[in-house]
Amino acid sequence: MEKPEKLIVDGKRLDGRAPDELRPLKIEAGVLKRADGSAYVELGANKVLAAVYGPREMHPRHEQQPDIAVLRCRYAMAPFSVEERKRPGPDRRSVEISKVTREAIEPVLFLELYPRSVIDVFIEVLQADAGTRTAGINAAAVALADAGVPMRDLVSAVAVGKVDGTIVLDLTKEEDQWGTTDMPVAIVPRKKMITLLQMDGHFTGAEFKQALDLAFNACERIYEAQRQALRERYAIKQGG
Amino acid sequence: MVEVRTGDFVVPGDFLATTEEFVPGEGAYEEGGKIYASSTGVVLVDARMKRISVFSRVLGPPTLKRDDVVVGRVDEVRDQSANVYIGVLRGREDRELPLPNLGMIHISQTHTGYVKDLAKQFKPGDIVRARVLNARREPVQLTTAGDELGVIVAACSRCRALLEREGTKLRCPNCGNVEFRKLANDYRQGVL
Repeated sequence: MEKPEKLIVDGKRLDGRAPDELRPLKIEAGVLKRADGSAYVELGANKVLAAVYGPREMHPRHEQQPDIAVLRCRYAMAPFSVEERKRPGPDRRSVEISKVTREAIEPVLFLELYPRSVIDVFIEVLQADAGTRTAGINAAAVALADAGVPMRDLVSAVAVGKVDGTIVLDLTKEEDQWGTTDMPVAIVPRKKMITLLQMDGHFTGAEFKQALDLAFNACERIYEAQRQALRERYAIKQGG
Repeated sequence: MVEVRTGDFVVPGDFLATTEEFVPGEGAYEEGGKIYASSTGVVLVDARMKRISVFSRVLGPPTLKRDDVVVGRVDEVRDQSANVYIGVLRGREDRELPLPNLGMIHISQTHTGYVKDLAKQFKPGDIVRARVLNARREPVQLTTAGDELGVIVAACSRCRALLEREGTKLRCPNCGNVEFRKLANDYRQGVL
């Protein structure tokens, strides 16, 4: 695809969204039968599946922690998830995303309840359109709750960035590619605690504050969608 | 703030009450003087005990408690006890057990009657069905006293072929070796 002349025309983005508008979000809990817990998230053209196993006995044994459980995350992209075939298997990028995802989720888990155990989180990106790590974190949080793992709170994540000099929410692939800045943010909504913050590009101090505010507001909306997904799966249906 | 009542549906992180009013029960935790839900389910308010808890609608990780029936593998047989690696909890076969998953059957708990030689009751590699006596100890205390408890699959200790039942004895179809076990009444019927 060629770089378009302008990414924002008359205050509207390429896909017709306003700068502070999220892409359509769909979250479903408990979609996989064999996993202990699972969730499926669609954010625009992103399609992400998360599966949780455990807490269970940790192998290899020498990686067990005598006092707490270990959280293992694996973020992986399907070969067909992007335009050019992605060579399957871990690479520099996915190893890094796995690590930051683990660190984004870890603070909400009661790892001390399961010494010498492991909680495995697998995040599979089926279709990518920028912002897959944040979609993956959103899916993983719902999957962990679906697995019945005790949690302090859910984790919500979204990306913000700067495109054509405007602060925008939830970038698409084109905006990510030709924009100036991309900043994924994950928060624990109740405590307003930031658990992931990365930035590619640059913001001025004022822009950063504005972008972070935008991300916090969007995370509130995502949090509500996550809770709704759990409610739909587990609340007792009235008159049903 | 809206008061939470019994029957309300909550997800992890939802505010339940303050610590002045209640103590957190199951599925709830305290942080900074406030009580929040830690699991997805329905709130239970015990006004008499001043306890607020969440009855989980999600089947969480299985936990062992007294009188649960488990299926495991005998790892080691000693003079006084046999060590068992617990595989699954009956009723929750879909999910692996979190630790501790090691059990122990004391010689006095293997049979309803007197047992002189534990090596005639279990051998390493046997698959046993046992009932939990005490899940707070580590290893978990188990018993196989009872008709429906005991070895459900056993292999010949000479050639590892699966043994076949002949009354109260087990015979190896391969080498003719005769062995003894504390058998469950449905030995090798494919039921956990």
